[in-house]
Amino acid sequence: MSLKIINKPDLMPFVSSMMGEYQVIGPVENDIGFKFATLTDASQVRLNYNTTVIPPRKALLPTQETLFSFQKDTLAPAFDMKWRVLLGVHTCDLHAMCMLDEAFARGQPDTHYMKRRATTTIVSMECLDPCDENSFCKSMNTLTATSGFDLHLIQLGEFYAVDVGTTAGEALLANHAKSHDATREEIALLDKTMSQKWAKFPVRLKLDGKDLPALMGISYKSPLWEEVGKRCFGCGSCNIVCPTCYCFDVRDEVAMDGKSGERYRIWDSCQLDEFARIGSGENFRKTHAQRLRHRFMRKGKYIAEAFPGQQGCVGCGRCARACLVDITPVGVWNSLHEAHA
Amino acid sequence: MKPKVAFFDFTSCEGCQLTVVDSLQTHLDLLNAVEIVQFREAISERGEDYAVAFIEGSITRESDEARVKKIREQAALLVALGACAHLGGVNAMKNLAPLDDVRQYVYGDKHTWYATYAARPISAVVKVDAFIPGCPIDREEFIRVVKAVLLGKKPPIPDYPMCVECKLKENNCMFHKGGFCLGPVTRAGCGAICPTFGDGCEGCRGAIPNPNQDSMKDVLKEHGLTVDQVMARMTMFNAYQMQENKA
Repeated sequence: MSLKIINKPDLMPFVSSMMGEYQVIGPVENDIGFKFATLTDASQVRLNYNTTVIPPRKALLPTQETLFSFQKDTLAPAFDMKWRVLLGVHTCDLHAMCMLDEAFARGQPDTHYMKRRATTTIVSMECLDPCDENSFCKSMNTLTATSGFDLHLIQLGEFYAVDVGTTAGEALLANHAKSHDATREEIALLDKTMSQKWAKFPVRLKLDGKDLPALMGISYKSPLWEEVGKRCFGCGSCNIVCPTCYCFDVRDEVAMDGKSGERYRIWDSCQLDEFARIGSGENFRKTHAQRLRHRFMRKGKYIAEAFPGQQGCVGCGRCARACLVDITPVGVWNSLHEAHA
Repeated sequence: MKPKVAFFDFTSCEGCQLTVVDSLQTHLDLLNAVEIVQFREAISERGEDYAVAFIEGSITRESDEARVKKIREQAALLVALGACAHLGGVNAMKNLAPLDDVRQYVYGDKHTWYATYAARPISAVVKVDAFIPGCPIDREEFIRVVKAVLLGKKPPIPDYPMCVECKLKENNCMFHKGGFCLGPVTRAGCGAICPTFGDGCEGCRGAIPNPNQDSMKDVLKEHGLTVDQVMARMTMFNAYQMQENKA
């Protein structure tokens, strides 16, 4: 839409003002890193964060969420209808949310996700430096974003350039921020910053992310799965920290009287023993190797095919960071690529 | 009619039974759902007509066996309560040393008075229908298990690793903070309480099915533990299982 400018001293008042009207969720510091949390004071926000343990998808799909409560034979749906602003989303995570939007809207739309999505305004952030050695956003073409956000911030020294993506973003800016239209000089600085940033990000995959479905298509029988499967704990950390994973388990919590309670869902992981176990006791993916292969197939092939234009992996590097036995997308995909090269 | 429930203890610190008493502070309605007929730590009555038996503690003497078998005969449902009953727990650390040495260390010149033998979980002696892991048990999990039993459902004890809960809590990994942790091979359900409060997992809830113990040893060594330190950590609560797996 249009390009606006917020001067740096006007950013905190912008955040404070939004907090008066919305639940504002943004990156804050924790013991040795950062996490997305509801701000209670604008000064808590750390827009220069590198990454978080859990991606901001939790703002759209909470780690645990009540779906409905029941009382003997009546049901009451549970909805959390707070209007919220999700602030400081990196473009890798933004690409992931666009994929989630499609996944939850398809077929029978997921009521809880859709309602929460409709009440969420996303203010994303351009990364101007790599977060750490595990990310490979450049290979996955998620290093920037042209859509998916309501507002998009790019820090340019003493001011923020603000790309306005939607009318909701336009209204948020008009109602809460002191901003002005970008001048020619400011636009020139933006162009310069954006073109300079590309060289700072390494290409870590030996193939383009767009070619992953083809690579995975010929890698089903690779001996690599057994090799990495031997190391794998099956601990599920890779799934929990992934911005594009969206599997959940549904459970009931019944009150002591046995008559009332609630049904909730909680994030699940395809790496766990019981994930593919069915009522008869049969398990369709018994080994760590089979489960790992399934995960990499989802990330590299299945999702891209199920949702054309979307990616199952956005190169955020969280799973590589979380893995204690060094099973990483870059490592796995480069090995498979070399095996076929 | 409310099911009749009894609590028993063998070799243990009784901390799990204390947790049961503690759970009544927040779940007083438990007393509307069951009738407790025997619970040495909490009541004076000693009813013997119980249908559900909760047993804390491990089996460490020959004389324990007759008693636990009698409980098994009476109880329609027998639940192992806590790490000692479920795993053998810290009591089984003694199994790693010659029994005479252990007895002399503990009882000195009176060591011949005490006929103790290698510590074992309840399931090594009688059939156990369900278990509630942990040292001590988690009070919310205890309540969940009781509710499941009342509904005739399988107790909801997780069989996935603690890492899942730790990540859901958004904790930074203990290994990234310079610590050590058995989370990748240990059964979840505790809400990752130790890492959440800054301490690595010591495995009190026992191993998940198919734990990758080799990777666990490798990771602990890579992060600086000696082989002895690795084994000390892995046998703190799970000495009985480690020995059984080796045998």
